[in-house]
Amino acid sequence: MNDHSSPRWVHWLNTLQLTVAGILILAPTVWMVLSSFKPSFEVTAYPPTLFFQPTFENYVTLWQTTPFLSYAVNSFVVTIGSTLLGLAFGIPAAFAVSWSRITWPAVLTLAARMAPGTLFLLPWYIMFREVGLIGSYTALILSHAVITMPIVIWVLLPFFDNIPRSVFEAAQMDGCSVTRILWRIALPLVGSGVAVASILAFVFSWNFFLFSLILSNSDTKTLIAAAFNFVGEGSTQWGSLMAAATLIALPPLALAILVQRWLVAGLTLGAVKG
Amino acid sequence: MASITIRNIAKKFGELTIIPGLDLEIADEEFVVFVGPSGCGKSTLLRIIAGLEPCTSGELFIGETKVNDVPASKRDIAMVFQDYALYPHMTVYDNMAFALELRGMSKAEIDQRVRRAAGLLHIEPFLERKPKALSGGQRQRVAMGRAIVRDPKVFLFDEPLSNLDAKLRGQVRTEIKALSQELKTTMIFVTHDQVEAMTMADRIVVLKGGEIQQFGRPEEVYETPANQFVAGFIGSPAMNFFPIRRAGDAFVFEGAPHLAAPVPDALKAALGGRSEAVLGIRPEHFVPVGGEEGVLPVVIDLVEPLGSDTLTHFDLAGVRTVARVDPELRPKVGDRLGLVAQAGKAHLFDSVDGKAIR
Repeated sequence: MNDHSSPRWVHWLNTLQLTVAGILILAPTVWMVLSSFKPSFEVTAYPPTLFFQPTFENYVTLWQTTPFLSYAVNSFVVTIGSTLLGLAFGIPAAFAVSWSRITWPAVLTLAARMAPGTLFLLPWYIMFREVGLIGSYTALILSHAVITMPIVIWVLLPFFDNIPRSVFEAAQMDGCSVTRILWRIALPLVGSGVAVASILAFVFSWNFFLFSLILSNSDTKTLIAAAFNFVGEGSTQWGSLMAAATLIALPPLALAILVQRWLVAGLTLGAVKG
Repeated sequence: MASITIRNIAKKFGELTIIPGLDLEIADEEFVVFVGPSGCGKSTLLRIIAGLEPCTSGELFIGETKVNDVPASKRDIAMVFQDYALYPHMTVYDNMAFALELRGMSKAEIDQRVRRAAGLLHIEPFLERKPKALSGGQRQRVAMGRAIVRDPKVFLFDEPLSNLDAKLRGQVRTEIKALSQELKTTMIFVTHDQVEAMTMADRIVVLKGGEIQQFGRPEEVYETPANQFVAGFIGSPAMNFFPIRRAGDAFVFEGAPHLAAPVPDALKAALGGRSEAVLGIRPEHFVPVGGEEGVLPVVIDLVEPLGSDTLTHFDLAGVRTVARVDPELRPKVGDRLGLVAQAGKAHLFDSVDGKAIR
């Protein structure tokens, strides 16, 4: 939309919409961050306090009562592992779908992604237990690949589709096999797509709670599942939970800020072809 | 360098038949142009030869080898695409070197070949540039360079000039022709532009509906078209066609019964028992004469001066007609002109199947 040609009220409406959306999205985040610096008695105070004496008490508690660092390592291992696995399978899969113009495999992966995670839990628990992998990184990485691979495929598909077919055909005429076309021609041309896919896969895998809760053990628990420990049956340690949540949100946030430009370009590519 | 033999090649997309069954022999080192209107199957045929499209049935030989089951990457054919299809992430040098690298050629040999081709095509100053930093004409040259460095058995060109402006098109056309004479490789060039076909080809294949209408040297196709379609397609402006009736030893124009012409003796036998036919006269084969008897009187209603000659448009026997005349004549709209058709240059076609009557 061109702001110069739109009436003034449209401009104001846009601003209003963005403001409301911004508040809806940011308010819980702001509340989370503020709460993490509040003394524990003030976290659940009603009405919520906006001005308070900030304290690192929650972070200190978090650090002292949990092996936070080893949970973080677990999260990084599982997330990076599943992102790499998603890329390793998702890139060739997306290229194959784009190349052959047979879309049902991609739709199938999307269906798997749309199915509720609980659907996988029982069969996976049984399967991984049978092969003795419960509590292992392998089980977590494999299960998280169900999240990452469809993301990689669906983000990359429009990128591959956007490369003129004749470029691939020229490579064929030059003597390239299909595999070589993928590595030498197609992949270098979808670099920003791979970046976007990696980040989205990372974020979704990082924040995925359910599989880790069931398939990990105390040594391999990821941050997001570990944070759940603060939710008790009788009482919930809101302060520590908020401190953990704030720290957990940092890596994806840092990544998103780092590659914001690519992210926007990548997310709109499918819509604006040509 | 190799000949190409096509035996009864057919191509169907589901129920749709693009090429019903086609035979063609292209000699070694020959420059053949496939020409025809959109949808005539010329690009499909080229892509079948390239190996980018499988044929539904039939056999394809490059040299002595049957290549039906040989993938495009192994056919040793180079192709120049309509949109050039350069690798956007590689420099001009790398675009040209890529195929040679794949063949495991030494760096020195690659360098020598790339620089030689670049010299031939005058693209040395751009070797380190990426395609997006080049003009259309320069990209076109790089696409040709990428084909030349490989020294392939066969060159294929898929309408490579259609994205260039008119002036550049003429220039590159001449360059490709010069190149073909220098490289002495079998070349197939696809175009819908009959001027490109006439000027470049050793032999022209005129296609319509996936069938070969005529295969011959440019002057053959122009002077003795096999049928009314070829006669109308080759030559610009197109040949004028007049439905005629035979009345004894004379032809009468359907649209103007008062206009008659004697049937040439040479055609009497060929005409046989036909009472109707189509008379074809090219715009350049009308000659303006004075007002004597036997000439076709016309009134000019449109004039297109081309510089070297002038096209005049008029109505003749109910048919919109074009004649190419000497610009010195300075024809004007409304002028009356007496025309005769050059003896021996008129064509006759069967009014049912369009085949030439000779």
